[in-house]
Amino acid sequence: MSGLTPEERLAARLDEAARRGEVTSQPSQAAPLSVADAYAVQELAIARRLDRGERLVGVKMGFTSRQKMAQMGVDEVIWGRLTSAMLVPEGDRIAPDHYIHPRIEPELAFLIGRDIPPGAPPETITSAVTAVAPALEIIDSRYADFRFTLADVVADNASAAGFVLGAWRAVPPSLDCLGVLLEVDGRTAEVGATASILGDPWRSLAAAARLTGRAGMPLRAGWVVLAGGATAAVPLRPGAQVRAVIESLGSASVTVAANSARP
Amino acid sequence: MLPSTESDGIAEAAQRLWNARRSNLPCAPVRTLLDAGDVGAAYEVQEVNTRRALSEGRRLVGRKIGLTSPAVQQQLGVDQPDFGVLFGDMAVGDAEEIDLTRLIDPRIEVEVAFVLETGLADAWTTTADVMRATAYVVTAIEVVDSRIAAWDIDIVDTVADNASSGLFFLGGTPRRLDGLDLRESGAVLLAGGEPLSVGAGAACLGHPVNAVTWLARRLATTDHPLAAGDVVLSGALGPMVRVAPGTVYEARVSGLGSVRAVCAKGNHS
Repeated sequence: MSGLTPEERLAARLDEAARRGEVTSQPSQAAPLSVADAYAVQELAIARRLDRGERLVGVKMGFTSRQKMAQMGVDEVIWGRLTSAMLVPEGDRIAPDHYIHPRIEPELAFLIGRDIPPGAPPETITSAVTAVAPALEIIDSRYADFRFTLADVVADNASAAGFVLGAWRAVPPSLDCLGVLLEVDGRTAEVGATASILGDPWRSLAAAARLTGRAGMPLRAGWVVLAGGATAAVPLRPGAQVRAVIESLGSASVTVAANSARP
Repeated sequence: MLPSTESDGIAEAAQRLWNARRSNLPCAPVRTLLDAGDVGAAYEVQEVNTRRALSEGRRLVGRKIGLTSPAVQQQLGVDQPDFGVLFGDMAVGDAEEIDLTRLIDPRIEVEVAFVLETGLADAWTTTADVMRATAYVVTAIEVVDSRIAAWDIDIVDTVADNASSGLFFLGGTPRRLDGLDLRESGAVLLAGGEPLSVGAGAACLGHPVNAVTWLARRLATTDHPLAAGDVVLSGALGPMVRVAPGTVYEARVSGLGSVRAVCAKGNHS
């Protein structure tokens, strides 16, 4: 790996960890890492995925609840990149093998209908959205016990591992007080509402446009923006049937295969 | 040490809680006066003070249901909700101001309030009966309070202390149950535009109607079954939040509209 920059080496290590489903050590344990450098590492790690033929299909927002921000001691949300290989078809059965310690949470997804360029005026952002859907996000930190600094988790693509989209629906008049249920094996595991997402998921979309714009990246027509968890995440166990329900928007579901090939 | 007889313990617990409410000064837990975990005796304490309040002319206007979430039930080591009595002087209207010095250590919750068109007095009341008997539902804010110092409560303390009831605000936009899906209805409690507590109808025993059904059955065998016109606070939809003086709280339940609680500025300690 000689000739690689420190960022490229970190990106390679994190990409390998995600590919193999194995933990790796936190970059911050070896040397200080700025959040700006961490985003550079994230971009380089995703570039390796794109080299393997994956496509960028959107972004995910993280730390969108006050509790999580307080827990991390930050006052800004983070974002990660979604690729085509992370999309799990709705209702699909997934193998648990390629995750480390996956957790799953209900989210609201926005569908971008036309490009949102960096610096787009806020009032044009809302109108660029053509549909919304209930979604599930699978998060799987590549660090032991989900322990990380802000820079560590940014470098690790905000723990993104997979996502499931329910059917797209027309955008309702308001999104800020829709009830959200996370069901596991038919039982209600978590209860919340979309207000947990920065008070209103539209604020999360505005943050997505602002932060990706700062990185010089437009939000492309056809992309998905996952606005952030609407309840706490729960462990995703083999054999589990998981369903996210959002009031008046329907549901998204996924099943985990019972048998893991891994011992 | 336990008082010499059970009824002595009940009388002493009732008097202690009565004095605390009257003086607005918190008291020691009453669980030490009763047998450990004796919820039946705790309801007897509550009943003693309910009768005393009625004899002083306070008006019984409904009930509150508490401990409706699995998390809170676990905390108190119970597998059932509890209930307390609502009196007319505890009712506050949308956006009215309250003086927090009337309370000891208030906390605030967002709930669905049911207002009954007809009574529900059958020990086998069904959810269908509850839906048919409901005149309307509104968004409510419950301000809970504990007469026990520092909320050092177990199930016996809170039941004896009228289920830690305080005040309640009712919204002004009544809705029929028709067309509502209260299980999925989102709920949020805001202050200054920031969500402090978030949840949905499913957090209340799976569906708020389930909670009212439990209450109707539980009260059917008592002297005061649910009656026409009663208000039922069906249980918290999100975690309770400590009340800060000078704050305006807004609660919203999807489909039911909103209600505001205005807390006066002041030196509440």
